[in-house]
Amino acid sequence: MTLGLPSDARVAPRANIRRDTGTQRPHVPWAESIAGGLSRFAALPDETAARAELESRLAGLRAALLASPYYTRRLRDAGLHPGDLQTLADLRHLPKLERGTLARHWDEVPTPLSREDESVVVRSSGSTGEPVKVVRDRLDCLHMWAVLRFWLERARAVLPPRPRVVLLDALPGGLEYSVRLPILHDGALHRISVLRDDARERLCRVRPAVLFSDPEGLRWLSEQRDLPAPALILTSAQYLPQDTREALARTVPAPLLNYYATTETGPLAWECLGGPGRFHVLAPDVWLEPGLDEVVVTRLRPSVLPLLRYLPGDAGTVDRDACACGFHGWTLERFGGRGACHFTTPTGRTVDAWALAWVFKHHALRAFRLTQVERSRFELELAGAEASEVTPLCERIVAALRNLGWSEPPRLDVRHVSAEDLATSAKPLPFRSRVAAA
Amino acid sequence: MAFDVKNIQKQLTDVPLVSPYPHDLAVAIICDTFRLAGVRPPSRGDWEDLERRAKTPALWREQVVMLAYVLTSSTLGAETAAMLRKNTDSATVMKGFFVQVEPLTAEMIRSNAFRQEEFLRKWVHAVDGQVKDESTRETAARLKQLDYREALQEMQRAEAARRKEADKRAKDLADAAQRAADARGWRE
Repeated sequence: MTLGLPSDARVAPRANIRRDTGTQRPHVPWAESIAGGLSRFAALPDETAARAELESRLAGLRAALLASPYYTRRLRDAGLHPGDLQTLADLRHLPKLERGTLARHWDEVPTPLSREDESVVVRSSGSTGEPVKVVRDRLDCLHMWAVLRFWLERARAVLPPRPRVVLLDALPGGLEYSVRLPILHDGALHRISVLRDDARERLCRVRPAVLFSDPEGLRWLSEQRDLPAPALILTSAQYLPQDTREALARTVPAPLLNYYATTETGPLAWECLGGPGRFHVLAPDVWLEPGLDEVVVTRLRPSVLPLLRYLPGDAGTVDRDACACGFHGWTLERFGGRGACHFTTPTGRTVDAWALAWVFKHHALRAFRLTQVERSRFELELAGAEASEVTPLCERIVAALRNLGWSEPPRLDVRHVSAEDLATSAKPLPFRSRVAAA
Repeated sequence: MAFDVKNIQKQLTDVPLVSPYPHDLAVAIICDTFRLAGVRPPSRGDWEDLERRAKTPALWREQVVMLAYVLTSSTLGAETAAMLRKNTDSATVMKGFFVQVEPLTAEMIRSNAFRQEEFLRKWVHAVDGQVKDESTRETAARLKQLDYREALQEMQRAEAARRKEADKRAKDLADAAQRAADARGWRE
């Protein structure tokens, strides 16, 4: 049933859903070891011992850097070589990898692919106007499920046999599917779109043990009544407003875990269940360099895509921490994300502007900025956009805004500007609002 | 007496190279270091021989300048003079040193912490010195880790292996395409 879906909202791309889920089964021991490693590391109070263990993982990274055509060239050009990386302190002498560089060299950064890697290429959300193609091997694709085991343990959530996981989303297009999920205790994964009329009924029927959603999905969830409570709700909102948390807690009494992940890196940190604003780093799988004012990621887990000092474009400072929640390790604070921004609907409700980032994924844009000028008026600034791209992009934005709460199509003015006009000193700020929230 | 490489690197950070020394001045500085130790410095003929042996004479001149810079801008020069044995053959020391640092450019030594450390350690090795707080084995292991000559060869080997694999895949694909084309011919 798609009666609730506006005809012009069908903007989702064709999704390639992997059905050979039986191939997950051999990787269950690996998932257990990843979760076990994270768990053990989060209980390690001795920083010297923790650093020594992290440094023992650098050998794998060195081998991957040597096998990567991009890194071999990049390091040689700088008079460096992978063997220079012996300790975590050595990282500061090595070059950073910016998002734009990864976008340009996406096929040279990975190590040579073999058939056994079962690698795929996915695209990041394009939230900076420049989608990145990301090569992932099979374990990269399954890593989130391994980390979920760890988070379930942290949240003291107990799963039933054959747990059902729901991916509840509010993306335009209303994509839905169901697949088996052997990697998580022989469970199943159901993607449910809140845009569909029967979303609530499907959710009640599925009775999810775990529920992933975006902020718009959580808002929808908080407006429903008599829903089955999952053991854990997860979101990757980066910034999750307190009122959303409170409204959700009233409706669905389940722990809410907010995590930080990017398509390029996978999950990086999770927001402390005991206190918002503190994101505990998922070491030993990743290393986020302490003492800086931006997020700098080095992947320590083996992967077809070695990431050395990768800059996802997010602000934040990492420090060693012994948290009241019992976590020992490094914690990311003052995490800014990529310029948090909220738009205000005609009814006065605020929505996360980044819910629109998806719309920009399918347009080759050098730079853009969407500004809410009035409640029903937006301005889209584009730099270097092809004329043929503009009309379909505007149609998609208006359709996406309708899904977010603009029942009447808002006015959208387009202005062509130079890339310099949109340049920011640090991270991109593609969304802006000049409307005061009600 | 052992060389404190970390401290020497710190001293060099505090005294950055503003402009390179003229080549003759750099040669004079190096010769003075030997003289201070009571060792006969390399002769003019030795220097000409060193330049002749260099794979890239321009690069060799850069290394001479950088050696003079690290000797004068840190305690390395004084420490070298203090520990050199009287019977040291300076020409042999210099010959061995320049072979070891062969691929290092002035820019690498100036701005790259790893290559600077390698340059300093190879000097310490050339004058038969020891590194502070390290066993001989640890010093040798660190020198091996830092060895850019070996690293370049390793990176070239990796590059060649990648190219070979890419060529093999391209050939396999071409063969497969040819087989497919041949098979289609039979069916048609």
